[in-house]
Amino acid sequence: MAFEKVDFVGRWRVWFALSGVFLLLGLGAIVIEGMNFGIDFQGGSRFTASGVEGNPSVQEVRDVLPNNLGQEAIVQQLGEGGYDVRTPVLTQEENTEVRQDLEEALGAEVSVTSISPTFGGQIRGQALQAVAAALLIIVVFISLRFEFAFAMAAMVALVHDILITVGFYALVGREVNLVTVVAVLTVLGYSLYDTIIIFDRIRENAPAAGYNRRRFDEMANNSIRQVVMRSIYTSTVTLIPVTALLIFGESTLSDFAFALLVGIAAGTYSSIFVATPALCLYKAWREGSITPTAPRSAPTR
Amino acid sequence: MLSSDNEEMTSRRNNLIILGLMVVLIGVAVYYIFVRQPVMQATQLGLDLKGGVSVSLQGYHTDSSEVTRDEMDQAAQVIRQRVDSLGVTEPEIQLQGQDQVLVNLPGITDTDRAVEVIGRTAQLGFYEVLGSAGGQPVSEGEIKQTKEDLQSELEKDPAFQEGKTKIIFEESPPPSGGGTVVEGYVVPQEPAITGGALESATQTSDQAGRRQVQMTLTSEGAEQFGDLTQQIVDDALVNGDASRGRIAVVLDEDVVSAPSVREPIYGGQVVIENQGLPGGLPQKEAKDLEVVLKTGALPVNMQILSVTSIGPTLGSDSLRSGLLAALVGFGLVLVFLLVIYRVLGVIADLALLIYAFLLWGLIVAIPITVTLPGIAGIVLSIGVAADANVVIFERIKEEVRRGKTPRTAVGIGYQKGFKAILDGNLTTLITAFILFALSSGSVRGFAVLLAIGVILSMFTAVSVTRALLGVISDRGFHLSARMMGVSKESIAGGPPKKQTAEVR
Repeated sequence: MAFEKVDFVGRWRVWFALSGVFLLLGLGAIVIEGMNFGIDFQGGSRFTASGVEGNPSVQEVRDVLPNNLGQEAIVQQLGEGGYDVRTPVLTQEENTEVRQDLEEALGAEVSVTSISPTFGGQIRGQALQAVAAALLIIVVFISLRFEFAFAMAAMVALVHDILITVGFYALVGREVNLVTVVAVLTVLGYSLYDTIIIFDRIRENAPAAGYNRRRFDEMANNSIRQVVMRSIYTSTVTLIPVTALLIFGESTLSDFAFALLVGIAAGTYSSIFVATPALCLYKAWREGSITPTAPRSAPTR
Repeated sequence: MLSSDNEEMTSRRNNLIILGLMVVLIGVAVYYIFVRQPVMQATQLGLDLKGGVSVSLQGYHTDSSEVTRDEMDQAAQVIRQRVDSLGVTEPEIQLQGQDQVLVNLPGITDTDRAVEVIGRTAQLGFYEVLGSAGGQPVSEGEIKQTKEDLQSELEKDPAFQEGKTKIIFEESPPPSGGGTVVEGYVVPQEPAITGGALESATQTSDQAGRRQVQMTLTSEGAEQFGDLTQQIVDDALVNGDASRGRIAVVLDEDVVSAPSVREPIYGGQVVIENQGLPGGLPQKEAKDLEVVLKTGALPVNMQILSVTSIGPTLGSDSLRSGLLAALVGFGLVLVFLLVIYRVLGVIADLALLIYAFLLWGLIVAIPITVTLPGIAGIVLSIGVAADANVVIFERIKEEVRRGKTPRTAVGIGYQKGFKAILDGNLTTLITAFILFALSSGSVRGFAVLLAIGVILSMFTAVSVTRALLGVISDRGFHLSARMMGVSKESIAGGPPKKQTAEVR
């Protein structure tokens, strides 16, 4: 069987250190470069020109913008004949002016999204609420279906996945918007699913009574070995369509797919190398703190 | 796992029931997708895929009192009437939360006009003009500055009293030449007559053929209007010049016109006109005025939260790339399952194809509007549906490796795998539910499609594959370990022992 030699639980320091490196990289990027928030979160306007002919440079597109907008706007090329112009908050008239200028100069169809700062604030609030509510309800759910120790371990893995996804976003400088939050929540659900498959096997293999650290850790290791191929196949099955989205999807879909790609990779890793060791460490710590002279044979539930 | 003949019968019957149900569902889906209407029109596409304007508004009161759900319901009705009279096909007007409304207008791209017609409170008011200033044409860029100058000039006017009066402006084209005439007026804080006095509004033209909008007041309104004009004439007399009295017709704090009043006017006919232009009011403006006056004022003020206009080209590009991604992803998943699980893979692929078709049927039948995030939800749910089979099949392989017969292994695989799938899918449903509850608009499309996909996949990936496996083994088809992609070497304890067990 695959992964027979790997000690998933015992060598937790190695796995945690590996995660730590990625977390530090991501957090470092957040601190140094900051997050690139989209107009969803702070208000502003976005103009998307499609079917532009003659392949103008980004600077040429910038020059089309009226007044001083050229300096403030963020202009990006999107694949062939597509341009994306992001500006700070504009009035309705200014939006129309920019749109008409772009339409005339580029000879293209221009789509506009404008979001007021108030609305941006609301969306930001909703997004944070959604993530917080998801985490809370999931703790309750796992505590009910499994036990509290499993919920704690799953939570550690989830926070790990969220931080890595967000960190990677900062690292590559992609725009953080509503789509990113949806992706993060999806990753959260997905990573949890993965963790639960492993926990389900641990639950099945766990002896009805008695906690013994060596025995529990060995059992957890075996449980992972039994399901690890499934974890990898599952990730592959999910990553195939996500990669297709990343390659073939236009900007919104490809942003979404990027977050999923990073999140699912992190989620697969964390289910195996973070959640289970965390569960074992938490169990050992809790049992140890009740009676320091482990092993003990009192029921754990 | 040992079963009597009786239980075997039951499981066979269950398999047939499930397959029968599946066939019926496929039939229903075929009807909804292909028969009921041409297949090209079957799926409802969102604005982001077919183009159009989407406006999101928030209701508020100027005195910052709370906006009630009732007021928003009324507002939505007024907006619906206005949109209908613009002739937009299939508009969508949804209330969101306590005080927000989302208006989707497919097929148009003129955001200015949409915002003007939908978001305008259309609060009509008639005021006595107490003082005025300005009246010179200025260029486009100078309007803002001119208003500020007039504001400070009028604040020095003896008629201006902080708290009792306010200053409002009129912008109109000059009788000749270019620019815009800006005039400022001092008027009482509250209007003498409000929109409640309005009976109807119609577009007409005067003797010279200039377009105008004629307002007819209710009998009570006509009386009030007569009194107001009488008052204006009297006040002008007191001030020494009977011909200087003016009345301001105000729509949402903008002066529409401020004609002179030389004598009291009874009869209840009031006209909004623009004599400065040869054709009178511009056609669009006249039409929009008529619409907002006719449909009445919104019970609340509207603040624009977001405006989106998607061009048809961008929409169809998004649709094409989304579909391509979905199809490529779907195809590769089918190939992957086939390679890893051989015969089991064929069954899983079959189930996945049925899944995709039934999902389409559901989308058409409910109907669910497919948006870009919705496509992402569908693509993700393909992964989830395939995964249910991966969980079960991995378990089956594991049991085969432990020396169980393929038949027994299949039984255990479904029994044990189901619990894990149920827990896993419940967490996905929780996330989808939270997304739906705490968000709005396009994100909801993603949540709905993800949730429906997950629930449907429990049926196709678990029940249908199990029934298919059961039926083919009843027909005397024997699965071997190799057919499942398990090599002989990996099986513990040599070839499996003969056991009597059933797939249920």
